[in-house]
This record gives sequence, structure tokens and C-alpha cells, in this order.
Amino acid sequence: MALASCGFVGRILTRNLSAPSEPRKVEQKIEDPRRADARLAVLWVGHATVLVQMDDAFVLTDPVFTRTVGQVSPRLVEPGLDPIHLPSLTAVVVSHMHFDHLSYDSLGMLEQKTKIVLVPPGVRSSMPHYAFESRELDTWESYEAAGLRVTAVPVRHVGGRWALDQAWNSRAFTGYVFEYHGLSVYFGGDTALDEEKFVATRKRFPALALALLPICPTEPRAFMRRVHMDTIEALDAMSLLGAERMVPVHFDTFINSDDQPGDCPRLLREHMRERHLGPDRVAILAAGEQRVLIGK
Amino acid sequence: MLRWRVSQLLVASAVIAATSGARAEDARFPPIRLSPLATAGVWTLAQLVPSPLLVTGSSHVGGGVRWQITPFVYAFGLAAHPVRFFVIEPVARHAGAIELYASPEWACCASNDGTSWIGRVGSRVYLPIVGYGETLAWSAGASYYRASEGDGAAVEVGAYTLFGVLGFTVTVAPNLKRREVISALAIRYF
Repeated sequence: MALASCGFVGRILTRNLSAPSEPRKVEQKIEDPRRADARLAVLWVGHATVLVQMDDAFVLTDPVFTRTVGQVSPRLVEPGLDPIHLPSLTAVVVSHMHFDHLSYDSLGMLEQKTKIVLVPPGVRSSMPHYAFESRELDTWESYEAAGLRVTAVPVRHVGGRWALDQAWNSRAFTGYVFEYHGLSVYFGGDTALDEEKFVATRKRFPALALALLPICPTEPRAFMRRVHMDTIEALDAMSLLGAERMVPVHFDTFINSDDQPGDCPRLLREHMRERHLGPDRVAILAAGEQRVLIGK
Repeated sequence: MLRWRVSQLLVASAVIAATSGARAEDARFPPIRLSPLATAGVWTLAQLVPSPLLVTGSSHVGGGVRWQITPFVYAFGLAAHPVRFFVIEPVARHAGAIELYASPEWACCASNDGTSWIGRVGSRVYLPIVGYGETLAWSAGASYYRASEGDGAAVEVGAYTLFGVLGFTVTVAPNLKRREVISALAIRYF
């Protein structure tokens, strides 16, 4: 198994080394993401970075705007929204400390955009000091401001940032539910399928209008299944959570698995057909694409 | 390229360590964590990795190795919990910190033309330059050394990249004859 692990890591490194040095351009980037016609809109910036609009509240998830993550893995596609074009953010959430979710430089770009960044337990002691307030939320704990309530919800993943620190950051990963004006949105961060946790979340939040769910990385499955959902599990999660809609995230932005770009959305579309789920239920966005899910 | 290679090794180690921890747990819903024993073992092994030295004296050039133990860090660049003892995450140093350290060195070019130990205790201040210190940070410090030739004071500066795993430091001790300038390729993980 150790040899298999080394082989996997070697393949990922080789692919990252041979990745294009310039990320693919996003054509016609949105410069004003505020949608007057939306009660609920999402803009997929890339990877796990999503701008969620709930009426006049804006939440940004796992902001990563940098050219690489961990100084190693280059972006395959540029961010679908430039940080300068972000509206004033009601809250920013970070799901865990891995380089592709907690980007110190990207948070630095948000110092004038937000007053609060919410993180899981233990993360503040591994974060630089910024101009905004950072606050740790334990499972089921909530933060409220300006009518927005953000609650940390349980997921199954792994904490830490530099491998060794996962030993004492054993609770440093979370999902979130955002509630505003009667709308509820789930953000899974990174998670494996965990029926118990998803059902517990559904019991507390029985009317999720949207679930932002990771669908990648999936391969090698034996390697990934303990910490990441695959596409069919993401649809299972949507069902377990009782979410009306799903927007998939965490794919085709960085190379962190044996998956090829395009694999995960293609598989998701196949499973959607099998389950008779249309684009009204599962909206697969391109980087930089914004979708109004509930209009006014 | 060297920076990339070392960073790849770091990430490879991280991935292997994370997933190895997973496999040791229950097959269906494993809470993933490194055991305290494994953590202590990895940390100890990391401290045993030496940093290679280039020793430069008035008429001698040679090599050596250096280790470091860090009993205390005050990480003023962190958002919370700035005090660390022995186990120091990269950001705790390189986002801005003051550290106290002890450093045994085995270096060439002693007065008897042989190799001998130098013991050093000192303090450094780290400041971030790029990427909150993950990409580039620098340090300045001073130390008190004891060697076969006697004891004295030294000053040093350093620069670090790759989450502080890789650095370059230059230590100057005018009274440490034949070993006045010691450059180090500083390798450190926690």
C-alpha cells in the first residue's frame, strides 16, 4: 500500500509538473456579480470558491484566487471572478486548512471586502493576522450578523495543513449552512459521504434550497473514498441532505488526483440521467458562470 | 527547480501521511488522525535531519552539519495562540515570530585542522516577505557559541522559502578563528 501511495503521489507530481504554466482564460468575466433579480444566485469562481448571493447578503466560500496552491499545483483555469470585483461580503467561510481551501494570500486580498472570516476549530492558530476578524465555529455553533446566520455542520474529512499537524487539528474541518431571509444553503467544503452527519444536518435544516457539494477528486477510489465523495455519492449526499438543488464544486481547477479534467462533470451528468435529475436540480457551472437559482 | 522538487517532496509526504493515517482506522467511517506516537516519531525524525554547512575561514573552506531544537517561539504574526514550545508549525515562524533555539554543529576547520563540535544558543526574529512567509521570509539573529577554541558571540541573517522548509543562513563570528563565516542550507520541518 505504501508503494501504491508513492506511485499515486508520483503521478500527481508528474502531472502538475507538466501542467500548462498559464491557466486557461475565462472569457467575459463578470465584473458586477450583484444580481438585482435574484433571491438566490451562485457564481462558481473555481474549485471550492463560490460566491453565494441570498437577497442582499453575499457569502464567499473557501477563497482561492492564487495562481498555484501550496506553491506546487498550478491552476488549470483562472479564477472566474477577480477579487477586486467582489461585492462587500457579509461573511467568508473556510472549511479546512488544506492549501486548496485556506489560502493565506487569497484571504489577504479580502481584507477590504469582509469583516469576518469563519473557520473550524483550531484554524486561527495556524492563520496569519489579518485586518478582518476571524472566528472559530465548532459543530452546530452559529455566527449571526446583519440577518445572516452561518452554522458549522459536521462533515467527514481531515484537518491539518502540513501533514504532521493533523494530529492536533483533528476537528479542524467543517461544512456550513447559511440562512438568510428564509433561504438555507449548504456548503460541504471537502467531505466524504457520511450518512449520519448528512441526516443530522437535514434534521436541523430541513429546507435546504441549495447544496454546494464536492464531486472530485475520485480516483484512485480506494485512496480517496475516506475523505472525498465521488459524483454518485454527491448525488446521494444531496438526497440525504434533502436539498432542492445542487451545484457541484471542487473539480477541474487543480490536479490533485488521477482524474482527468472533465471526468467528474461527465460522470455527474451520466448519473443525473440515470436518476432523472435535470439541470433545474443539479446546475453544473463553468468557472466564472453565475446562475440565478431563485428569482425575485 | 530545486524549490519545486523539495515542495513536491513535502506535499508527497503530506499526502502519504494523511492517507496512511486513514487506512489504520475502521473500514467504513474512519475518523482520520495520526496517532500521538506516529506524530512524535515523525517530529523526532524531522529534527534529526541535518542542515549542511559551508564553513569559511580566513584560509580554510570546508563542510559541516547543524541541527536545531526550538524550545520556544512567540509567533506575533498569528491570529491567535502565539506561544509554541518545540513543535513549531511553519506559519508560526514565518508569518512573524521570535524564537529561542539551541544548535549543535559538527564543523570542519577547527584549530587542530580537524572537525569539532560547536554548541550554540541564540534568538532569531522572523519576518514575512511574500505569501505571509510561506513563499519567502527572512530572519536576523544573534547567538552565543562554545567551541574548542573558546566561546563568543555571533550574528546571522537568513532567508526561507517553501513554507520555511528550505532556507539559507549566514552566521558570522569574528572570534571563531578559521570558522568565521558559516553558511547553512537550512532544512527544517516543524
